[in-house]
Amino acid sequence: MGRFWSILFLLVPVLGVGCFVWAMADMWPMQGHWLPENINDHGRVIDNLFLFILVLTGVIFAATGLAFFWFLWKYDAAKNPQPVAFTHGSHTLEVVWSILPAGTLVFIAIYQMNAWADAKMRRPMLPGPDGQMATQDDIPKPSTCEVTGRQFEWRLRYPHSKPENWKPGDPYVYGDDDLYVVNDLHLPIHEEIVLSIKSQDVLHSFFLPNLRVKQDVVPGMLQHVWFRANKTGVYDIVCAELCGWGHYKMRGRLTVESRADFDRWIAQQVQAQSQSSFTPTPTAAE
Amino acid sequence: MSREILTSAGSPWLLLPLLALSACGCGSPDAKFLRYEVFALKTEQLNNDSRFSREQRENIDEVMQALYGTPDEPRVPALGEVPIADVLDLAKLQLAAGPVGSDEVGNVRGLYREHCAHCHGITGDGAGPTAAFLNPYPRDYRKGWFKFKSTPIGIRPTHDDLKKIVLEGIPGTAMPSFKLLPDLEVEALVHYVKYLSIRGETERALLRASMELNNDQVVLPVLAEGASPEQKTFHDDQKVIVTDAVAQVVGDWTRPAEVMTDAAAEVQARPEMTPAELAESRKRGQALFYGFAQCIKCHGESALGDGQTTDYDEWTKEFIGDGKNLQLVAEFENAGLLPPRHIIPRNLRLGVYRGGRRPLDLYWRIRNGIEGVPMPAVTMKLGDDPAAKGLTPADVWDIVNYVQSLPYQPINNPLDAAREVELLRERM
Repeated sequence: MGRFWSILFLLVPVLGVGCFVWAMADMWPMQGHWLPENINDHGRVIDNLFLFILVLTGVIFAATGLAFFWFLWKYDAAKNPQPVAFTHGSHTLEVVWSILPAGTLVFIAIYQMNAWADAKMRRPMLPGPDGQMATQDDIPKPSTCEVTGRQFEWRLRYPHSKPENWKPGDPYVYGDDDLYVVNDLHLPIHEEIVLSIKSQDVLHSFFLPNLRVKQDVVPGMLQHVWFRANKTGVYDIVCAELCGWGHYKMRGRLTVESRADFDRWIAQQVQAQSQSSFTPTPTAAE
Repeated sequence: MSREILTSAGSPWLLLPLLALSACGCGSPDAKFLRYEVFALKTEQLNNDSRFSREQRENIDEVMQALYGTPDEPRVPALGEVPIADVLDLAKLQLAAGPVGSDEVGNVRGLYREHCAHCHGITGDGAGPTAAFLNPYPRDYRKGWFKFKSTPIGIRPTHDDLKKIVLEGIPGTAMPSFKLLPDLEVEALVHYVKYLSIRGETERALLRASMELNNDQVVLPVLAEGASPEQKTFHDDQKVIVTDAVAQVVGDWTRPAEVMTDAAAEVQARPEMTPAELAESRKRGQALFYGFAQCIKCHGESALGDGQTTDYDEWTKEFIGDGKNLQLVAEFENAGLLPPRHIIPRNLRLGVYRGGRRPLDLYWRIRNGIEGVPMPAVTMKLGDDPAAKGLTPADVWDIVNYVQSLPYQPINNPLDAAREVELLRERM
């Protein structure tokens, strides 16, 4: 009977690793359970970190599982009639299993620092008054859109005012003719995009799975995310922080399109928002 | 008996209750339309507290079910010539009705319960499970009144008005946007909202009609075999009364189509203006805001929405009046009314516009007023008589221009405000 249980426990590492391999191979019934397509130029680093940590923890997980199995198998009571002998600690062993994990954690902490800084600290900059990049007077790149999470939708605000000395190609600034949209985020491809993220009520998390961007949305805090999308298409925006009963339906849609399409869409929305006339038509009711 | 069960731990009889439990399952009971209790109470109070008899209430339940079906199987009343199909599309209602799920072919069902019922309630009474936590409360459809629409007060909203609210949501309230739903699903939901409105209005009419009868008469009796000629006449008369009541409710919902094709519904585009002209227009708008149009009465001198803060909306006032009679408030709360909340005028400096931020939306709000709340329609000048009092469309646009400038005034910024107050002090 005893060895039956050891076989059962062997299934833990086997199935655990199997699930991941199966999902990675995209085979039935696990299709679409691996990472969604990455469309962010900076997303590879995040994926690599994820894979590195997955492999590291995976190897330890499998090794631990196999070790458990081996002990269960070898020291099965039915096959080992002699009494159990106890040992009282091994200093060397304890030092090894303290230093190894500690060293690994320190390594991960250092190894991910650059990725973290790129994702959360090094906001894209624009040249300042001197016209040169990487000088003291660089200014943070203004945001393309302000995303405000609220129960249970994403309210978007695009700046549409021209600052003084505006030239074609310059970014707009927020003002009294902003464009307001809900849930339908459009962005140009191959451009460094900065989004401002706010909350109107509770904690949310702004998550763009295809761009490997996830940012907690904290009431009272203005935060920024940035990325550069490299594939046109329609992608999900989801809330990744339980924010109330309707959390699951707090979905938006991200459309990545060419600059020309993006400008056309903005112009259409601006026109719809500035509608001031109404002409009665016989079909107005239905 | 109980001792036996307790001591015979291994008895197979113990399994019986467990089996019974698993056979019952732990699902929720069938969804039911709730009675319009608050309106029944109101009707009774209006008639010197004469009570409805049990038979009368049950008869109304039966008539309502015959006309409109159940939350799972909606029905559209057959009305002969009244074109109810223009307002309610049964196929779309069936998409929205029923429990959440999909049929064998994968068509969705139960859209209303998936997206709306938790706030607006199965019955459309605006009292779903999450309603009590919201401010403002979700709309109770049963009165047939809606706030943000293109039609004047007293006229039902158009189909497009309701659809716009579903698509865009209402910023500043708990109503979210359903923009990403497929068009067919949004259409189905709009039809279902109209269905619940028409159903609720019919229930009101039936309650009123029932109150006019003697206590032993019901609004539409079942005609038994061998009924007396008097009973037959009464039945036929009542049938006409009920059919007329439904026809009138439905007729109200077909009217927006006529009203909105009326030339008076037209809105001329806002005049194009240079920055200097716009500044002048805003000044004129400001004068009207503080003067003839009397916006400050509710929106306050500061436009922060603090002119009055103690009024109620009509969905509340209908039952509790000014809310000072606490006994009355308690009676209606027992009947299902949510604890009354004051209707707060809009803070115009926030730049959040519930009914939409297009200039057209603001124009409609000012010209038409807002149904069910203290916001009245402005007096428009009719004809060319120069002595006539009232606003021209250009005047309304001036007010719109002024209102649109309020969120961007420097005084909204605390730092700038401090400076302005300083300047005021110096002048004094």
